[in-house]
Amino acid sequence: MPSEKTLGAVFAGAFAVALAAGAGSAAAQSSGGWGAYGADLANTRFSALHQIDTTNVKNLKVAWMLSLGSLEAQESTPILVGDTLYVTTSSGPRYVFAVDAKTGAVRWRYAPEVPADVAATTCCGLDNRGVAYANGKVLVARLDAHLVALDAKTGKELWKTAVSDYKSGIAITSPPTVVKNLVITGYAGGEYGVRGAISAYNQETGQLVWQTYTIPGAPNDPGADTWKGDSYKHGGGAAWYVGSYDPQLNLVYYGSSNPSPWGASERGPDKSEYGRETNLYTASTLALDADTGRIVWHFQTTPYDAWDYDGVNENILADLDLHGQKTPALLKADRNGFFYVLNRRNGTLISAAPFVYVNWAKGIDPETGRPIENPEKRPRLDVWAKDICPNLFGGKNWEPMSYSPQTGLVYIPSFNLCMDLIGRKQVYKAGIMYLASEWNLAKPGPGGHMSELVAWDPVQQKKVWGIKEELPFMGGTLATAGGLVFYGNIQGWFKAVDAKTGDELWKFNVGTGISQGAMTYELDGKQYVAVVAGRLKTPPSFLADIGERVFAASPEGGMLVVFTLPGA
Amino acid sequence: MRRTLLSLALGVVVCSGSGLPCFVSHAAAQGEGPAGLATATPDPERVAEGRSLFNQNCSHCHSPNAASPDPPRDLRRLRLRYGEHMRDVFWYTVTHGRAEKGMPNWSGVLDDKTLWTIYSFLESVQTKP
Repeated sequence: MPSEKTLGAVFAGAFAVALAAGAGSAAAQSSGGWGAYGADLANTRFSALHQIDTTNVKNLKVAWMLSLGSLEAQESTPILVGDTLYVTTSSGPRYVFAVDAKTGAVRWRYAPEVPADVAATTCCGLDNRGVAYANGKVLVARLDAHLVALDAKTGKELWKTAVSDYKSGIAITSPPTVVKNLVITGYAGGEYGVRGAISAYNQETGQLVWQTYTIPGAPNDPGADTWKGDSYKHGGGAAWYVGSYDPQLNLVYYGSSNPSPWGASERGPDKSEYGRETNLYTASTLALDADTGRIVWHFQTTPYDAWDYDGVNENILADLDLHGQKTPALLKADRNGFFYVLNRRNGTLISAAPFVYVNWAKGIDPETGRPIENPEKRPRLDVWAKDICPNLFGGKNWEPMSYSPQTGLVYIPSFNLCMDLIGRKQVYKAGIMYLASEWNLAKPGPGGHMSELVAWDPVQQKKVWGIKEELPFMGGTLATAGGLVFYGNIQGWFKAVDAKTGDELWKFNVGTGISQGAMTYELDGKQYVAVVAGRLKTPPSFLADIGERVFAASPEGGMLVVFTLPGA
Repeated sequence: MRRTLLSLALGVVVCSGSGLPCFVSHAAAQGEGPAGLATATPDPERVAEGRSLFNQNCSHCHSPNAASPDPPRDLRRLRLRYGEHMRDVFWYTVTHGRAEKGMPNWSGVLDDKTLWTIYSFLESVQTKP
């Protein structure tokens, strides 16, 4: 099976990636199109477009709007192919729309028959983050763990593949990654004790080409000895967010989720001195050979996690100038509060520093890459750990960051929340949440604000400026060559700020909370900025009174709002 | 009794006006749970135990301490919403689930005693009309 081979290869230390063609590895820099969720497969969310800039952004006006027809959390980033914008809605998705990118006129809509009971096996809102595109096909992943190819011209279903059985707690919420003739996807389920995997399918047929599990499945599997007993059997490590791809290294990068259950006593010694019981490969960044799925390297950000610090956040591929050398880097603002710069060829740690207030660890050991834990902040079986920062939403969650090669800064939508957490015992049952914990997440961090847009210098590993937001769940960011950063907040304000200084230059209220990052595109010499809005529902529900404030901040909704400059 | 329960399981009996399934007092009829569990006198220890059990099993969707900001998931409104049927709605829902709303069927996952202990906690946090 691919999983055993894969794990074996890594544990034998076979870093056999072809490094020969090493010079000038490719961190894609967007040219002005927006063909993938993160603008490009490097997930930069940077656009080279600059018609809209710091001098004229104040004139931005709504060009058109589209009602998405569903009210659950809207987390989609549209993509542009030709003059068609493809956007998904929440709840299944309920719809995939193909719309004329100039007018918003709907060209087709796809309304999949998704079983209603997926609601019971989707942990954190009935979301969908968008589609991928390749060779005339729109690729859609669904909450019932199916992957579908649609004819991009008509919306007709070309093939449909079951990635897994959703009833065990598996859902797909993020768009797949298209690489050569493959379409690659992970899935969610770290809250249900699933066995995480990343799978590649043939774009033409939907047939499985390779599948790589993120955790062991049997006692003799390599890595099984990093788990207490046979606890890996329900060990999570779900790769539920988006992948990145470096075509020169031919490596696909994914993050893996928390180990299951959250309460750690089941999985190891229940203390900071966990020895080898690190629970591989949960809470990690994984680099996979795109052709075979073999794990070429891994970097575990939170060994033996007890805080639900998933390692899934997107990996931005960027070439950084480090000590006068252009270095192929991978940038990740981890849930655990540390910003990691890795060498994306081999997974070597270049640097790590906290980008939000962190107290569960004192730092990252530069030799081992391991967090230097504060033992008081590790929750244990029936022992509360109090005021742990960040809380389990993390220093950053899925709301995407962007990287501008123009300023050299990463724009991170961050959380400033802390928590109390305790481990409990729980018996695993398929399809039932497997958390083994109690918690209080409603604890604002120092300063009292609950979100902050942090402009971060990844070379110096320091904050350059920040914009504090009152409430948590601020939206993802878009950086443009017009010297701008766009982002939204949960009150529904969509804002443009100066990428160098953070000065606010423009804002517009779209009427419902914004979580996803905006995208931008150009058609017939005119630049447009598009953002999906629709306030989150489920994650704020973990927050009691703070959740009440989030709910009061804006109504539920579902809108795609597109802006442009009048007369441009 | 049998016939009524069968009807309930199929969800076909609707009480006039309420739009809800017409419940019988299932728990009372079956003699489940310790005596007095639905009385107005809460046992603080039982409520505390129920709170912890609720927070372990239910809070990911319904918020810790049942304080959900989302009205449909706010279990402090059970009494307001279901009045004298609250207890029966609770029992029917936890033992059948509402999968399309995200609610699993807890039969075979949590035992009856655990479910009724959670109910005692929920009774203690009901919003006053």
